[in-house]
Amino acid sequence: MARVDLQHIGKSYPGLKALDDIDLVVNSGEFFTLLGPSGCGKTTLLRTIAGFNRHDSGQVLIDGRRIDNMPAHRRNIGMVYQDYAIFPHMTVADNIAFGLVTRHRPRREIAERVTRALDLVQLGGHADRMPHELSGGQQQRVALARAMVINPQILLMDEPLSNLDAKLRVELRDDIRDLQRSLGITTIYVTHDQEEALVISDRICVMQSGRVHQIGSPHEVYSRPATLFVASFIGAMNVIPDVPVGTGGTLQFGTGLQLLPALAGRTSVTLAIRPENVILSGRDAADGPAIALEGDVNKVTFAGREAFYRLTCGGTLQILAHVYRPDQRQLEGVGTRLGLAFPLARLHAFDAADGRRIDLAP
Amino acid sequence: MIAMIARIRPDIWTVVLLLTLTVIAVLLVWPLAGIFTASLTDNNSGEPTLANYARVLGHPFFQGALINSLIVGAGGMLGAALLGIPLAVLTTRYVIVGRDLLATLAVLALVSPPFIGAYAWIMMLGQNGFLRAPLADIGISLPPIYGFFGILLVFSLKFYPFVFLLTASSLRTINPSVEEAAEGLGAGAWHRFFRVTLPLVFPAVSAGALLTFVLSIADFGTPSIVGGRVRVLATTAYNLFTSEMTGNPGLASATSVLLIVVSLVVVALQRWSVGRRNVAGAMIRRPMPTRLGPIASVVAHAVCYAIVLASSLPSLVVIYTSFRKTSGPVFQPGFGLDSYARILREVPQVISNSAIYSLIAVTLIVILGTLIGYILARRQTIMAGFLDGVLLVPYVVPGVVMGLAFVVTFNVRPLEITGTATIIVLMLFIRRLPYAVRASASILRQIKGSIEEAAVSLGAAPGHAFFKVTLPLMLPGIVAGALMSFITAINELSSSLILYVGRTMTMPVRIYLSVLDGEFGTAAALSTILLVTTGLAIYAVFWVSGRNENAFV
Ligand SMILES: Nc1ncnc2c1ncn2[C@@H]1O[C@H](COP(=O)(O)OP(=O)(O)OP(=O)(O)O)[C@@H](O)[C@H]1O
Ligand SMILES: [Mg+2]
Repeated sequence: MARVDLQHIGKSYPGLKALDDIDLVVNSGEFFTLLGPSGCGKTTLLRTIAGFNRHDSGQVLIDGRRIDNMPAHRRNIGMVYQDYAIFPHMTVADNIAFGLVTRHRPRREIAERVTRALDLVQLGGHADRMPHELSGGQQQRVALARAMVINPQILLMDEPLSNLDAKLRVELRDDIRDLQRSLGITTIYVTHDQEEALVISDRICVMQSGRVHQIGSPHEVYSRPATLFVASFIGAMNVIPDVPVGTGGTLQFGTGLQLLPALAGRTSVTLAIRPENVILSGRDAADGPAIALEGDVNKVTFAGREAFYRLTCGGTLQILAHVYRPDQRQLEGVGTRLGLAFPLARLHAFDAADGRRIDLAP
Repeated sequence: MIAMIARIRPDIWTVVLLLTLTVIAVLLVWPLAGIFTASLTDNNSGEPTLANYARVLGHPFFQGALINSLIVGAGGMLGAALLGIPLAVLTTRYVIVGRDLLATLAVLALVSPPFIGAYAWIMMLGQNGFLRAPLADIGISLPPIYGFFGILLVFSLKFYPFVFLLTASSLRTINPSVEEAAEGLGAGAWHRFFRVTLPLVFPAVSAGALLTFVLSIADFGTPSIVGGRVRVLATTAYNLFTSEMTGNPGLASATSVLLIVVSLVVVALQRWSVGRRNVAGAMIRRPMPTRLGPIASVVAHAVCYAIVLASSLPSLVVIYTSFRKTSGPVFQPGFGLDSYARILREVPQVISNSAIYSLIAVTLIVILGTLIGYILARRQTIMAGFLDGVLLVPYVVPGVVMGLAFVVTFNVRPLEITGTATIIVLMLFIRRLPYAVRASASILRQIKGSIEEAAVSLGAAPGHAFFKVTLPLMLPGIVAGALMSFITAINELSSSLILYVGRTMTMPVRIYLSVLDGEFGTAAALSTILLVTTGLAIYAVFWVSGRNENAFV
């Protein structure tokens, strides 16, 4: 159980800023996820905390103590890797015991703790197996047990599930979450899978090109994305760029909703709305103010519980709308013209230049 | 660069790096600089001069040697390709009984002492060779063994395994779907072979062939024993340096530099073709050998076994000869252990010398080579790239040249070690170090770095993590590299020939001198000891590397 402070961490590689002034706090016992596209610096940040690469500037604190100059092997940080990093020449039990042996724990204690750790990851009875006799999922469980058994202050996981198939991924994901909760261990988890991040995390830190875009609960980053990047990286989003804005914040787009004081002083804005928030006429009526426009249905994809409509509005704008429990009549709508509504309460606006969120309704 | 590493805390690897740089500076850069300087120095006045190069490039004597070197290089390469490619195609594409046996025998031919082939062929096809008369009886008349015919025969049969092993391993990685796709697109068998298969294996073939070229022009023993009047650069440099009357270090050095330049060009070509070798795509299916019709099958077997047996013939002849009865240098009818008794009586020291020098050199090689391999594989620094390049030098510089370089360099204080055992050990060490480095680096590249990191994050200090986790995983590769270094070290002739004095004579040197003296019995007995040692080492390599012939190329 420990709190992690990252203060103004910077790291450059030749011609590239891998980490750009990262400043964040991970609370004690929290499940904290670093989420971002490939190459955004997640691994670099994680390895900085673990002590495997040296940052150029800033400091890392654990429970208020600077650890920047502490060698990796003395940090007491558990690490779980994408490729498992199981020692292939040792049995499962010896793998798990490794950290305890380096800590010179008594033999009896090691045996007990290894057994308990094996049970914890549901691998009781596999103690004497060699790693190559285990499936990928089982190997990752061993890695998890190996990292947990040393009672680390922090647990770091770098895409631990991405080498597993879909079913195992979900299974182990839930197990990791349960284990973390029951042990209350501060965990920093790296993934580029936004769905995984939403399901597993207490808080998510969304990164891009070495910069933090937003830190918040899964619900916050989903429903109130701080930047256009976050909005489009997490979940599906209809983005309507370069919407002209008239004097005083008059939106020149669709009908129904005109004056938005929050936009006063701008000449254009980027609007965005999630497919599930687009209202199709003839289904539900928007309550509250909404932008209204019309679109031609050019494709309907039926997926059982739900259906996706692809519409073209005003000649070029493509809008995706998500409809729950569609009925037969609606599914035959290709070629028809429908009315759409974007409720103000669900509409996101971003600065046309830097992509920062503009709060429409205070 | 060093400053950067130092900032990250001077750890064990900084020490290793500095040690390596020192070794390279003293044992590689300095001697080569020495020979380069000597080539630009007048023998008598000590003044700088270009006269040596003017002679070497202008005089027909040297031009002849250069041309001959190129001829034996190209001829050896062609011969090796002619034997190696068919063998590779037949054994990978068709069911050939005893494929593993063929590969093992090919490897044995590859690592057996090179000059043994030369004099064994003299015994078979020389003026009084025991094969010449029977062959003449069935209407095959061969040119005299001394000269180009002998040299090219030995080189082809000695070096074809490189082409064979590289081509075969490349052929095995061609996804059969690719060829089937070509067939589906209407390509006939020949068309398919030339338009699809051949381009895919071409990089491997050319890499093997160019390697053969380099080894052929660097080889000293073969042209010296079987070359007759054909002088090549390697023998010319050696004679210029050692002959009492006309000894001429300046000219010998200039010839050596010329030899280095030629090798360098060919090695550069070879590297370039290896670099582009990754044409094989993802392996979905392994190609299955097809069964040939009865007649075709007999022909294929005959070709394969003829090639491999011909290359094994010298070893068999040597072993056979070693057990013949002798009286002095003359063979008598019947069998006996006379030759062995004689070497034990007269030159027991060469056996122990060879064993001791090789073992000491290999120990040093393994220790430093493993650590350097680690730096190459795990530290992506400029230094690592530099080391990788520099360690190619011992591959490029022929043994004769390296030997000359050591002699001209280490005969002054503070390193006056000419004539000692140390100089021979150091020579073996620097020449064979790259084998161990390569073996260690390549196995490390297969061990994921995260494994070692995981150990560190579990509380093991970096050194501890290396010894507890990485080293045990590297062990098979290290042992294979050590055995390879040992095999090549104990068979080293050319540089030892320049560096030895009576006390420090090694087996290959003694064999060479015995052959020149016509003492075939002694030579055969010593060669048999070398062959058996080498064979055991190969067996051990197979054993640790799980039967992987490519450990040898
Ligand atoms: N040793 C290095 N030298 C130079 N550049 C590096 C080095 N390590 C990482 N980088 C670069 O830094 C950036 C961040 O890398 P990092 O591995 O942290 O990305 P990531 O977010 O973990 O991506 P992924 O999801 O693909 O694992 C990348 O552009 C990468 O190319
Ligand atoms: Mg990563």
